[in-house]
Amino acid sequence: MRVSFSKLSLLAACSLAWCGTGAYAATDNIPDLDGVWTFGNCGGGGAFNIRCMVLEENDELLTDRAIAYRDAIDEIAQPKYDCAPMPIPHMYTDPYSYKIEQLDDRVLIYYGKDDVVRTIWLEGHGHRTPKMNEFFYFGYASGRYEDGALVVTTDRFTFDPQGLNADFRIPSSTQKQVTERFSKDGDTLVLEVSTIDTFFLKEPWTFRVTSQPDSRAWEGSWECDLEASRQILKLMPPMYPNDPAVKRVDYR
Amino acid sequence: MKSIKLVPALLSFVALVSTTVYAHHSTRGIYHDDQIKEVTGVVKAWRFINPHPYLTIDVEEDGEIREYDVSFGGAAVVHLQRRGYTDATFSVGETIIVAGHPARAAGVYGLLIEGQVGDPKREDGSPVVQAGGSMF
Repeated sequence: MRVSFSKLSLLAACSLAWCGTGAYAATDNIPDLDGVWTFGNCGGGGAFNIRCMVLEENDELLTDRAIAYRDAIDEIAQPKYDCAPMPIPHMYTDPYSYKIEQLDDRVLIYYGKDDVVRTIWLEGHGHRTPKMNEFFYFGYASGRYEDGALVVTTDRFTFDPQGLNADFRIPSSTQKQVTERFSKDGDTLVLEVSTIDTFFLKEPWTFRVTSQPDSRAWEGSWECDLEASRQILKLMPPMYPNDPAVKRVDYR
Repeated sequence: MKSIKLVPALLSFVALVSTTVYAHHSTRGIYHDDQIKEVTGVVKAWRFINPHPYLTIDVEEDGEIREYDVSFGGAAVVHLQRRGYTDATFSVGETIIVAGHPARAAGVYGLLIEGQVGDPKREDGSPVVQAGGSMF
């Protein structure tokens, strides 16, 4: 079984509302999600089981359009070689812990890779919603507490050439919508994710994973190095050898 | 700088870097997954940095010096730290022995340390890191 989820950079988030903070009050309806969590496990034994989160290269969920795109685009064109973060929900397949911080009007989710900070804007607090022409790399995420779970809906994504799977060149469109449900089962964090994108998925893509409290020190800073990100490109022969050589921008 | 050996993947090498890291900097199709090659070379650069630390070594091969990129797959700094690697694990100019899956493309040289491949060794055969725990 699989599902999926989303993120928004703090910078982008702060452009939509003030960045103040406040304490949150736990109640029966609000699960205590605060803390650092191990990366998700699909279950079935072993500490490293992420297969349920992987949208496969020839997955039956893929549309013909997705397959055509996969076959046409080359690996070197993926934004990951420019230090671009993994999109959601594909990000969850990266074996890094993540941190959740619950505030009274929002929830912050920090991922242990790529310096990702997503802001979940809780409903009912007057947060400004995106204008019709505003799209975001991690989408716009709004959330609510419901039946003891945090339910997050994220949409308004930019088109992303690695948006559904960065390893198999499966993109996502502006129509991607990710719903995440965070709940607790004892001390275990349960994450259920569902992704729809009717351009590239025939049906919703869903998964369910569990995480445990992670007592190891939180690695707060990622600091992607552009040269290291591109190092492996040296070993990739061009898929389109007759095209002019790609000259990547040096952002530094 | 000296020997190069092709070793059948199913022989030798204990699974020190035991779990294949799920690498978004995709290694699919880049390396010969069914081969392990061992080289002895001189460290040219060691960059202990995200997203993926990498090592560059000069290897004498077929009468010329070839620059090999040595990759630890999808492992990041935090993963290698848990195995005992630091930014001082390798020194420029030192001779080391590295085994890994060789790169497929012609005219470029690379090794992937992943799966059943062990950590690099010093010239005397001792491991560059003491066997650590899981990278995860």
